[in-house]
Amino acid sequence: MKTYKIVVLGDFGVGKTSLIRRYVLDEFSDEYRATLGVHLYKHADTLVEEDLKISLVVWDIEGAPLPSGQTQRYIVGASGAVVVGDMTRDDPFSAMWAAADIFEEALPGRPLCLALNKCDIATIDNEETVARMKRRYDCNAFMTSARTGDCVTPMFHALTRSILARGL
Amino acid sequence: MTLLNIDLVLETLGIVAVRLDDDFIVREVSGNMLDIPLNTDMREYMPALYGLEEVFETADANMSMPFVQIGNARDEPIALTVRRDPETGVLWLFLRDVREESAMHRQLVQNHNSLSLAQVELVKARDAAQKADRAKTAFLANVSHELRTPLHVIIGGASILSKARNTPLEPDEVTDYAIDMHESGVLLLQLVDDLIDLSRSETGNLILYEERCDLCEIARAITTLCQDLPEARHTVLECQVPADPVWLFADARRIKQILLNLISNAVKAVANLNAAEVIVTLDPDMPSLTVADNGPGMTAEEVATARQPFGQPRAGVRGKGTGLGLSIVERLVSLHGGQVVIVTEPGKGLAATVSFDPERLLKSTSLSQNVS
Ligand SMILES: Nc1nc2c(ncn2[C@@H]2O[C@H](COP(=O)(O)OP(=O)(O)OP(=O)(O)O)[C@@H](O)[C@H]2O)c(=O)[nH]1
Ligand SMILES: [Mg+2]
Repeated sequence: MKTYKIVVLGDFGVGKTSLIRRYVLDEFSDEYRATLGVHLYKHADTLVEEDLKISLVVWDIEGAPLPSGQTQRYIVGASGAVVVGDMTRDDPFSAMWAAADIFEEALPGRPLCLALNKCDIATIDNEETVARMKRRYDCNAFMTSARTGDCVTPMFHALTRSILARGL
Repeated sequence: MTLLNIDLVLETLGIVAVRLDDDFIVREVSGNMLDIPLNTDMREYMPALYGLEEVFETADANMSMPFVQIGNARDEPIALTVRRDPETGVLWLFLRDVREESAMHRQLVQNHNSLSLAQVELVKARDAAQKADRAKTAFLANVSHELRTPLHVIIGGASILSKARNTPLEPDEVTDYAIDMHESGVLLLQLVDDLIDLSRSETGNLILYEERCDLCEIARAITTLCQDLPEARHTVLECQVPADPVWLFADARRIKQILLNLISNAVKAVANLNAAEVIVTLDPDMPSLTVADNGPGMTAEEVATARQPFGQPRAGVRGKGTGLGLSIVERLVSLHGGQVVIVTEPGKGLAATVSFDPERLLKSTSLSQNVS
């Protein structure tokens, strides 16, 4: 079975680690512990509808408002990306555009998805921007909450399905 | 001749070197800091290698990552370098213990990020405080304005009544002045009472005196009281509540105040209509009280304005009340753990529903009461 590499990108503090730990370990903490470098999460999962076993390595990458050269090195070899934004912020989207651009440029044709995170305490008041991003990157957007777990697993599964669909 | 023991060097520097074949299978390990078994798939030990298979097919492949941690294993951070020896074509993997460096770096990143995030929060809090401050200033300006109007009537009336004049005022005129002054005095008193309630609720000093009270009885009593309002003269004001009591654990005086506010608002809204109607109903299960009128209704913006202290939903149309009624109703209801829902549309009347936490219903008590 092939193991797919998925990178999780976005500004610091937006909830990348929290989303991954919710997905892989089903846990959440309110305490913020910044990620240094990269944390790897190996995870075996099943797509129940297809009765398909999958194997993933999820890369939890140190956050930054703008991706660095190091970010570009981390992306190498990824099959897909989750681009995370914190919906409680005034402008969650600039950092998301930057991260999505870097990924698309490095790995054109590989799927990405948008995690509009912290939806337990925020609403999305910029639907238009979300729609633009979805068109631009031909991707799905998920209103996630790592705290409640809303949409987290479905998002990782949907991304895995697009990876498989593209025969990567 | 000095023989350099490469294992000793690697161990001293805290480095492990692993020779891999092209399928990432471990063929040789130098430096015994880590326990890496031979002939196993290195990707299982270091999952960072997954996805890099194609990348490392090239002759000059080289990649370094300063801090790598296995998230679900709570491993110590290591620095990772993978490179192909350009001369021999052999694929090497170097792992270095970076516990100490990483602790320091992580603290720096943590401080930097936490500070930036805190700064964003502070800016938000500052903006909110400034907005609240502006709202307070506007509120104070409103209060002064509202106090002045009745005070002017009182002072003006008193000065006319007390002035020595050649032709004394007619008794009717004196009565009119007295009535105006009395009404203004009542309004002032109401305004001051409302302001006290509002400020107490804001500072958390509005205390509920909760007891067992019958919502139906309160609804009937307040409806009857409002039927005597001068504005209600031409209005059908009905109370359609069940005959059986609905016991609620609440502050009866405050529930009366809530209902009085809602009914008098409704009565004022329909005062100039033909076939004006205000109906009070009660849903014993929610439990909730609804005051519905067939008046002109409001737009969503007008409702939003009306919910503000001193909000005047219709520019230029000034009701007779203090302008604080709805704000106070909302606070009193929320103190009871309930909420106020307003359903209205221009031309379609307005229904205000106050619902309380169902946990406040005292069913068993009412039963035992009936039995005894
Ligand atoms: N309310 C709420 N808080 C969240 C959510 N996700 C994350 N948080 C909180 O946001 C803070 C940052 O979360 P992390 O997951 O550490 O953020 P990160 O993107 O990994 O940050 P870096 O590692 O610095 O890049 C933490 O205090 C979390 O508890 C969410 O869905 N809802
Ligand atoms: Mg993190």
